[in-house]
Amino acid sequence: MASNVTLRIELDSAVPAYRQIVDGLRILLVNGQLAPGSELPSVRRMALDLGVHFNTVAEAYRTLADEGWLELRQGRGATVVKREAPAAGSEQVEDLRRRLQALTAEMLAKGVPAAKLRSLMRAAAEEL
Amino acid sequence: MKAEALIFICPLILVGVILYYLPLITRPGIYFGATVDPGFPPSGEGRRLLRAYRWQLGLWMVAAIVATAFFAPEHPLLGSIPPLFALLAAVSFAYWRNFREVHKHYGVSRPDVRQASLSPAAPPASFRPGFLLLPFLALLLTALYLHLHWNEIPQRFPVHWLANGQPNRWATRDWHGVYSPLLMGAAINFFLLGLAWMLARLSRNTVMRYVTVRVLEVLVYPLTLTFVVIGLLPLTKFNPLAPLLCVVAGMLLAIAGVLYWSYRKISAARETDVSPEPQADTYWKAGLFYYNPGDPAIFVAKRTGIGYTFNFAHKVVWLVLAGILIAAFLPVLLLK
Repeated sequence: MASNVTLRIELDSAVPAYRQIVDGLRILLVNGQLAPGSELPSVRRMALDLGVHFNTVAEAYRTLADEGWLELRQGRGATVVKREAPAAGSEQVEDLRRRLQALTAEMLAKGVPAAKLRSLMRAAAEEL
Repeated sequence: MKAEALIFICPLILVGVILYYLPLITRPGIYFGATVDPGFPPSGEGRRLLRAYRWQLGLWMVAAIVATAFFAPEHPLLGSIPPLFALLAAVSFAYWRNFREVHKHYGVSRPDVRQASLSPAAPPASFRPGFLLLPFLALLLTALYLHLHWNEIPQRFPVHWLANGQPNRWATRDWHGVYSPLLMGAAINFFLLGLAWMLARLSRNTVMRYVTVRVLEVLVYPLTLTFVVIGLLPLTKFNPLAPLLCVVAGMLLAIAGVLYWSYRKISAARETDVSPEPQADTYWKAGLFYYNPGDPAIFVAKRTGIGYTFNFAHKVVWLVLAGILIAAFLPVLLLK
């Protein structure tokens, strides 16, 4: 069950709400805080609590369902399902590497020291 | 000043006391509806703004009391309602001026962070039909009792009394005269429970919502008791002042109990509430009215005061307001 688990987004962030919801839920799914069998709130409930449009949450749920994390139920919500991690293709790895590189550059540009950056990345990998 | 004027002046003073403390009934970091540093309200400038607001409130209070004392004894409606509305309008204007000044010169912005509980078992403000059917059953049983004792009801009985206990309005023994109080009770119950039902479904999952819905549900019980007692008055052979006073005292006790429970619940949960309401001042017109087309919530916890306000960006809100007006005037129409 997803007891006491919360999803947090920042509405005035440059990152769209849809992307924040997908990223936030994916972190919880990967690190096991949302285990298979957990039920997520309905689209309507989640949209109300986050203060975003219903379609934003519906689209986020659909994206995670396409990735194999969720099973959607008409009008009710979504259930976390057991998912076998697919083997990432070389193109996907290259795409993710580019995104990681961009994020790293952004962090360095904003003044995060390289040593801090390394420790943050190590901690993130270990957490997940 | 006539003694009857006091009946109209007392509620006015109660409103004045609430307005006096209103700017302070708010979350930390909010002042006159604007987002500020938590250290601003007790600062010299913060206190100056509060003093200015209270001075204006005081002046308008005096004017409203004088007008009420002068006109209300002769013309109860025309002499009491316009001064009250004038007071509310003037104080709202003073509040808006302070909001504008605070927002412009001392306002700060905070990240608009939202959180949603992912637990389906999060404390819900559920609607419990079994608990809520009892008041309607009580009204129905009272109606049945009156029907069975129809012949014991006088042909003409009092329904309104002066402050000295003398009746000044009468009803006759027909379905309208006998059952109107019960119908009015049912209509008010429907309205309150409808409001609780909408609130439970169209607002964010917060402790404030839980408390507000529970308060609405619980208040239906003393209200029902009031209408049951009023409904049974035609059958009483003695002076109805004692049972009516008991009902008023019971109502006041119930309201005090509910307020105390709400205060305890909200205070205990303030730190752990997972679903904060929108932070940006731009959503709050004049610091009082919430307008955010991007937010699907219809009810939003107030920034100043206790309870909820509407998200005026939704058309359905105007329908709800029309419904409230109809519900407010329905009892009057039923009594006609």
